[in-house]
Amino acid sequence: MAALCLIALALISLFIGPRDIAFDSFAAALQAYDQYDAEHVTLMQIRLPRLWAALIAGGALGVAAMVMQVVTRNPFADPGVLGINAGAAFFLIVGTTLLGRADEAFVAVFAFPGAALMALIVFALGGGFLRDINPIRLVLAGVAVNALLASLLTALVLLRQDSLDVMRFWVAGSLSQATTRPLFEMSLIALAGASLAMALATRFEAFALGGDMSQGLGVRPGRVLAGALIVVTLCAGAAVSVAGPIAFLGLIVPPIVRVLSPGDLRLGLLMSAVIGALILLFADVLGRVILSPLEVRAGIMTALLGTPLFLWVARRMSPGQVS
Amino acid sequence: MIRWAILIAILVTSVCLALRYGQISVPLDVLWNGLGTNDGPGSLILGTIRGPRVAVAMGGGFVLGLSGALFQTLFRNPLASPDVLGFTSGAGLAVIFAVSFNLAIAPTIAAVAGGVFAALVVAAIAYQKGVETPAITLILVGLGIGFFATGLATFLMTVLPTSSALEAQRWLSGSLSGSTWGNAGLVCGLGSLLALFALAQSRALGVLELGNDMAKGLGLSTEASRWTISGTGVLLAAVGVSLTGPVPFVALIAGPLGAVLSGATTVAGRLLAGGMAGAIVLVLADLVARVAIPNTQLPAGVFTGLIGAPFLLWRLGVEMRKGRV
Repeated sequence: MAALCLIALALISLFIGPRDIAFDSFAAALQAYDQYDAEHVTLMQIRLPRLWAALIAGGALGVAAMVMQVVTRNPFADPGVLGINAGAAFFLIVGTTLLGRADEAFVAVFAFPGAALMALIVFALGGGFLRDINPIRLVLAGVAVNALLASLLTALVLLRQDSLDVMRFWVAGSLSQATTRPLFEMSLIALAGASLAMALATRFEAFALGGDMSQGLGVRPGRVLAGALIVVTLCAGAAVSVAGPIAFLGLIVPPIVRVLSPGDLRLGLLMSAVIGALILLFADVLGRVILSPLEVRAGIMTALLGTPLFLWVARRMSPGQVS
Repeated sequence: MIRWAILIAILVTSVCLALRYGQISVPLDVLWNGLGTNDGPGSLILGTIRGPRVAVAMGGGFVLGLSGALFQTLFRNPLASPDVLGFTSGAGLAVIFAVSFNLAIAPTIAAVAGGVFAALVVAAIAYQKGVETPAITLILVGLGIGFFATGLATFLMTVLPTSSALEAQRWLSGSLSGSTWGNAGLVCGLGSLLALFALAQSRALGVLELGNDMAKGLGLSTEASRWTISGTGVLLAAVGVSLTGPVPFVALIAGPLGAVLSGATTVAGRLLAGGMAGAIVLVLADLVARVAIPNTQLPAGVFTGLIGAPFLLWRLGVEMRKGRV
């Protein structure tokens, strides 16, 4: 079902935009690509990379969020809320500003240490090493880290005015610059992260049972957490490198997956990738048509779509009410 | 009493330092001589360059700090400050909105409207019939609304042309560079009116602190007092935001800092100390922002963010250990 929706939406995303393209020319472009035909060029050079970027970023964020929510047992765990995306983006912007924009593929490497560092910091501050991960504390730690990075970023932008345009388009996640991003390398990295998540899935599940139970199953918490950290770093870093920090996508995906396929985490991870890609693609298409010809960035669309969900979870979590 | 004297001394020293140092430092006696005259470097610094700026920092910091102390006392939770609860983001969004659509609305009015609106939304979502809303729910809902407002503000930023986007970015991060005496008069006038009103509520606030049942037993109409106090707090925060931009975390830090510095035990004392601590924090943050990097002015918000974020984390740790979060 979800896969079918994804395919349908992917096709729609190819044909909708400032220049509407008929289905025939897609077939024609596939069979005989004509580099002087404007429709063919739009399709193959702009829309297709953009679609690919949405699939990678959405899928990778879906997987990262699912792993985070399982391991921390926390419905708020999302690479955006917890500052991991912001960390990756911050390192990217610093790298781009210091080195110039000459080589985006090289600069993209910066996203990974950024994501890993923030994941570690927020996890530690959230009480992760004390074996006591409190959801609210984790969220507030994420808020604080996000605010800290935002302050540093503002300082950087005001010192180096040339970085403002870089920042404006990085900070709000967007798919419009997909053509200049190292899509192929990042899909490999995201794929590596997702495969690792699949390989570790049973251990994540055992770890999530908590304390004695997971020890009885022979889980070594340190290794599982390190594995989760690598998964999150690879997936979130790859997603930020192609699309910038996409907010709240990770909040939306896991609840849907849990409804659609409760139980086996491996199936759940697969579903997360599909649903994540689906939602990001939906956000992108919606952002393109909603205020056309103005484009609302996909990252802003996901933030606006995700907030009601965040509020709903916040209300449900409140003490005194059955959750 | 001694601790109050120290608090006042710190504030006075901060103001003197903020006037003395900047891109050029001016000895205090030159400043002193400039007082009351119309020419010379002293009067230029005092009258046009640093005077209004420091005055706005003081007034804006005071109202933000007071607002923070008010909410922290009302909800009996040191994390419940208008910036965490999303009110300042709402006020900030409204001002950016007015700027990007060229609406002919004074920023103060836009900020107040935005702050009140955000507060109403937070209250409406967090409200549960028949139960006293737990502070945690309010905080989480407020964070969500804050995220939403920030998302919209980011969107508006991407639509603006680069020049106004830079201005908007500067404003959003909390800057005092455009301050005038008119701003200072506004914040001091409105601020002191609201501050008096807030202090007048301190008795009700003290009773509310005992808990809802106790307060009702003592004959207080709790709902009405809560609304009045919250309304005052939102207005205070909005007045601050309209002049300084949504400077992060001043309101959050000020309450606890003031309480520690003053050692105040009464509610009125804590509120006043919170306001003074807010003024100190903002005046010093603006000073550091001006002198940290030569020939460049950073927004004060950069430094309140750099101080405030670790503070939030530390408070979080303390609250956790007490088992209150």
